[in-house]
Amino acid sequence: MALFDALSIAGSGMLAHRKWLDAVSDNISNINTPSRTSEDAFKERMVDVQAVNYGQGDGGVKVAGVTFGSGEGRVVYEPDNPLADANGNVKYPDIDLGDQMAELMMAQRGYQANATVIDRATDAYKAALQLGKG
Amino acid sequence: MTSPIPGVSLAGFTGVSAISGAASTPAASSTSGSDFASVLASSLDSLQSTQSKADNLATQAATGDLQDVSDYMIASNEASLATEMVVSIKNQAVSAFNEIMRMQV
Repeated sequence: MALFDALSIAGSGMLAHRKWLDAVSDNISNINTPSRTSEDAFKERMVDVQAVNYGQGDGGVKVAGVTFGSGEGRVVYEPDNPLADANGNVKYPDIDLGDQMAELMMAQRGYQANATVIDRATDAYKAALQLGKG
Repeated sequence: MTSPIPGVSLAGFTGVSAISGAASTPAASSTSGSDFASVLASSLDSLQSTQSKADNLATQAATGDLQDVSDYMIASNEASLATEMVVSIKNQAVSAFNEIMRMQV
């Protein structure tokens, strides 16, 4: 709807940040997932976002796709792991937890910021609707 | 919901068009018909579509098919704002009409 554009634009921002939160939680939940050395380790997920018709048209942001990190992982010596190879090695994903926590904070703050935009825009529109009623 | 109110618009609000035409505001000229009745009718149409969108999302929330919580909250917020807007446009129209009805002859 063209009248209350700020709401749908901020909604697209909320959606993009929610997908980012999903990707970060996927990365963190698999941070200790081992795999065989002959296979790829869990690949880090990174969300690609893109502006929609910046300055013209609808505005807002959209999720353009997902990029996967390297499946190389790091090799750890764990001979009692059922997935260990002949040398007693398994692979763990090469994801940095500190990095993921920083991304988590950015995604959460971005989500909150967009929710605040919706609140403020609603207040502003309500103020406009009060015009001439006094 | 739309059917009774366009009946109201036919009742003589077209007379108001002279006033809005004289003001020549950009908002009035951007709509297809510059008279007040068509502004009211088109805002009722958009209110209808906004409300049905919010209704669909409410059904999805009840059946558990809702993909995104914020989607529903934004849609219901938009529907309530649009309702408020159309109602206040209607109130202004009715008060203008009453003002003319009270005119001394």
